[in-house]
Amino acid sequence: MTMSKGRILIVDDDPHAVEILTRMLEREGYACRSALRGAEGLRILREDPVDVILLDVMMPEMDGLQVCEQLRADAELSQIPVMLLTARDDMDTRSQGMMLGVSEFLTKPINKRELFTRIESQLHAQEISRQLSRTDAAVPDPAKAD
Amino acid sequence: MGTSADNVFIRGSHPVMQKILSISKRVAPTDSTVLLMGESGTGKELLARFIHRESRREPNPFIAVNCGAIPPDLLEAEVFGHEKGAFTGAVNSRMGLFQLANGGTIFLDEIGEMLPALQVKLLRVLQEREIRPVGAERTVHIDVRVIAATNRDLATEVEKGRFREDLFYRLQVIPIVVPPLRERRSDIPALVTHFLEKHNQQRPSQPAQVSPDAMVHLWEYDWPGNVRELENLIERMVILSEDGVIDVDALPANVRSFISDKKIPRPQLTEEGINLNQAVEEFEHRLIDEALRRTKGNKQAAARLLGLKRTTLVAKLRRKETQSGAPEGLVY
Repeated sequence: MTMSKGRILIVDDDPHAVEILTRMLEREGYACRSALRGAEGLRILREDPVDVILLDVMMPEMDGLQVCEQLRADAELSQIPVMLLTARDDMDTRSQGMMLGVSEFLTKPINKRELFTRIESQLHAQEISRQLSRTDAAVPDPAKAD
Repeated sequence: MGTSADNVFIRGSHPVMQKILSISKRVAPTDSTVLLMGESGTGKELLARFIHRESRREPNPFIAVNCGAIPPDLLEAEVFGHEKGAFTGAVNSRMGLFQLANGGTIFLDEIGEMLPALQVKLLRVLQEREIRPVGAERTVHIDVRVIAATNRDLATEVEKGRFREDLFYRLQVIPIVVPPLRERRSDIPALVTHFLEKHNQQRPSQPAQVSPDAMVHLWEYDWPGNVRELENLIERMVILSEDGVIDVDALPANVRSFISDKKIPRPQLTEEGINLNQAVEEFEHRLIDEALRRTKGNKQAAARLLGLKRTTLVAKLRRKETQSGAPEGLVY
């Protein structure tokens, strides 16, 4: 099995959008999973967390912002960066997303290059976090330090 | 500078910033050399000051040196000092910054700019804890903690032979990478609030406030100058605001138009160079995408927006589709 560049969960009620996004991201070397409903997305995440979540806002039953609220309330999942995909690029949605700790907004239709740049930027922050964990382990005990 | 309020600059609720602060607190009481890496304006010097303040060296000096700002031929004498008559113009002997920082911390910013000849001397300081002023016969023992910083990728500089490998490893005993602000957007609202409070002290009778829509624009902007750029902007807006309300139209054009403009990012000419034809093509593709987005896919209207004939636009789209493998590079 080859290493993927990152694991991505796509949550969007439009199967056509999911299919195109999946194809686009897999071609770029990402491993994708997908869900057509918010609740299904949350279930997948609880079983097997991912590196980035691409989340549509306008969905039936549970919309993207409600999914964000649930993610935020879950200690395990609250750290996963969420990129909100929305055709509703109004300030209200953005403002609510901002308060819910969303990492990025992408306005539909999504530009391929912009999508990759934003995902890479989130993965870069995670790489920094891993480097910091290594640094943390290397900090000498003050009592024994020179 | 250096007040506890400035910690907000480096603090933040983003998990990466919390990790950085926790590491900094733990590393402060040790004398380990620290290497801070990150883009310009991310708060590396404030972090270095924080580490100094949290250490036993706090009562002693914190000396910051920008290795990139001092002419290379003067840097050695500036850092290590010189004897009388060491070079033309050295009429007296003078202590260097390492000696002035004795007992405290020296912050060597833009360490990647240091020339190899001086890198060797710095390596000796780190190994032997002694310096030799320019023109001096003897070395002088010093007790200084070194914190270095760079906005360059030092590992690449080492690979290219521009930075000494042994010095690199000596410096990065404790490497700390500070992320750019665009990778931790969730900290922007708290930073904005903090800088508003700080600069509102200049207008106590009518403190300025940022409107919710303006906050969204500040949140979405990519901040190439990082936290420093954000603070400068807030300061300017607080001073310039007449009625104390900072709304979207008070924001500079680059921030205001970013939400639509970020679809067409500015190409960067890196040291490795770029392929101009490809960059021009990408730029063209993005403008076409944007025109189609605005016209909801109406090719006639999009062509008009771009000053093209419809047939020319269709031909460009066909070409683009073959190249990108996805219909018009967009997901609907």
